[in-house]
Amino acid sequence: MSNVITASHLTLAYNNGKTEIIKDATFSIKQGEFVFITGPSGSGKSTLLKALYGQLKPSEGDLVVGGLDLTNVRQGRLQELRTHLGIIFQDYKLVNEWTVAKNAILPLMIAGYTIDVQETQAQRLLKHVKLSEHADKYPLELSGGEQQRVGVARALSKNPAVILADEPTGNLDDYSSNVIWDLMENACEQLDTTVLVVTHKIPSVFSLPYRHFIIESKGVYEVH
Amino acid sequence: MKFIKNHLMFILPLMAILLGIEFYLVFDRTTDSYEEGLKERYSMLVVSKEPIEFSTFKSLENHVSSVKEIERENIVAKVAKGIDDSASDEIIMALPYFYEVRLDSYLDLDNLEKIKANLKVNKNIKKVETFGSSHGSAYRLFKFIKFTLKLFLFFISIVSLFLIIKQMEIWKYAHKERMQVMEIFGAPLMLRSGILFKIAFLDAFIATFLTSLVFLYVKLVWAGVSGIDIIVKNQEKIFKMSDIGILLFSALFIVIIAVYFVVFSAKGVEE
Ligand SMILES: Nc1ncnc2c1ncn2[C@@H]1O[C@H](COP(=O)(O)OP(=O)(O)OP(=O)(O)O)[C@@H](O)[C@H]1O
Ligand SMILES: [Mg+2]
Repeated sequence: MSNVITASHLTLAYNNGKTEIIKDATFSIKQGEFVFITGPSGSGKSTLLKALYGQLKPSEGDLVVGGLDLTNVRQGRLQELRTHLGIIFQDYKLVNEWTVAKNAILPLMIAGYTIDVQETQAQRLLKHVKLSEHADKYPLELSGGEQQRVGVARALSKNPAVILADEPTGNLDDYSSNVIWDLMENACEQLDTTVLVVTHKIPSVFSLPYRHFIIESKGVYEVH
Repeated sequence: MKFIKNHLMFILPLMAILLGIEFYLVFDRTTDSYEEGLKERYSMLVVSKEPIEFSTFKSLENHVSSVKEIERENIVAKVAKGIDDSASDEIIMALPYFYEVRLDSYLDLDNLEKIKANLKVNKNIKKVETFGSSHGSAYRLFKFIKFTLKLFLFFISIVSLFLIIKQMEIWKYAHKERMQVMEIFGAPLMLRSGILFKIAFLDAFIATFLTSLVFLYVKLVWAGVSGIDIIVKNQEKIFKMSDIGILLFSALFIVIIAVYFVVFSAKGVEE
């Protein structure tokens, strides 16, 4: 199967290359794989995801995502790539002046689906993440865990080719966490979605085969 | 309250520009006719012993464009009311011939003196009066006022444009979070900054409407009672309905530039 993500000798840095976070990392991820990424706080997990969705340009090495060379990419192509990604942020990044339902279907809105499709899809999604009764509320009226689940619903709304999730269960109890893991497992299993999840705790019950990377001391290592 | 303030901060400078544009248009139109008037009223009085044909005038001075003989009967009728006909006939016979001579272009004083001299070559022409000196300085003052006004309007426009862009940046900041989220999910520029375009377009319409109202008021109410000759005479030129189109077009043009300026100054990818 083909590689969805290929990094070779990848170096990521802030401040115009002065603050190196990840150095000389080489790895690849195939389509349909489920990958956990762990590592200490501040090790660069979120930074790696940022590079994968094109928000941080590699300072050295190569990074190819979905066939797109992110070291040198035009804005239009990057825009197109991003519509195939489902990103879950550590800090949720919901739009506070939009309702929960509208937040959840942002990718559908961007893709230009009709209002009807958007509405039915919003209902379906919010039911999945157990937020049906909150559809018309605004993000700031929700608890942290509820906001996080809106973020998950948004990321899954358009059945993305790749899910990039940053601590998607960071604020959730075991029950809610399992709901999220189930959703991701389903996407991976049934839709062949590639899933990368940054987490501090790999779930104890997990039915799919998965790979595990650790980020530590600027390196990205795979645990076998 | 804050909402209204934000919009006013955008609408007012935009209106300043639109008022400037409209004022310029009006000024240009009314002064065009004023300039025409200056030229038309601009004539010479020639006094001659014998009648002179237009062709003779033309041969003396090529700038002559038209010649009108002033009826001597009228002159006599004015000065000699109640005098019997035979007496007034005698007076008429004794009078020289008067001609109002118009020129084909506006000329400065030196040229007028030359024309005067050229006409006097004809022995019959006893006197040539010009009104050059008063017209010349009035005209020059006029040109000067026109120039300073243009300069003033230009600077007002520049300053206003900066204010508009500043306000646009405040808006961008207010909508930054949403625009960034949308960008990360691959929304195209137009969708991301749609809100800015919406606000800007709305305000462009409001500013055009208000500016039109101001000028309609000036035209329909104020102009009639202003007592200013040139304004009363040119009332219909003060605001034409087609000006609304010009203003709206200008307003939209300005806000589109402002929005693009702000949107493209946003930094996307971190280096
Ligand atoms: N925009 C930025 N500019 C400069 N330095 C940054 C920026 N973002 C993150 N960093 C630094 O990069 C390092 C890695 O940050 P990152 O957010 O990737 O860590 P993380 O592994 O996700 O940590 P956590 O588990 O706490 O979320 C940190 O030392 C952080 O201070
Ligand atoms: Mg992080």
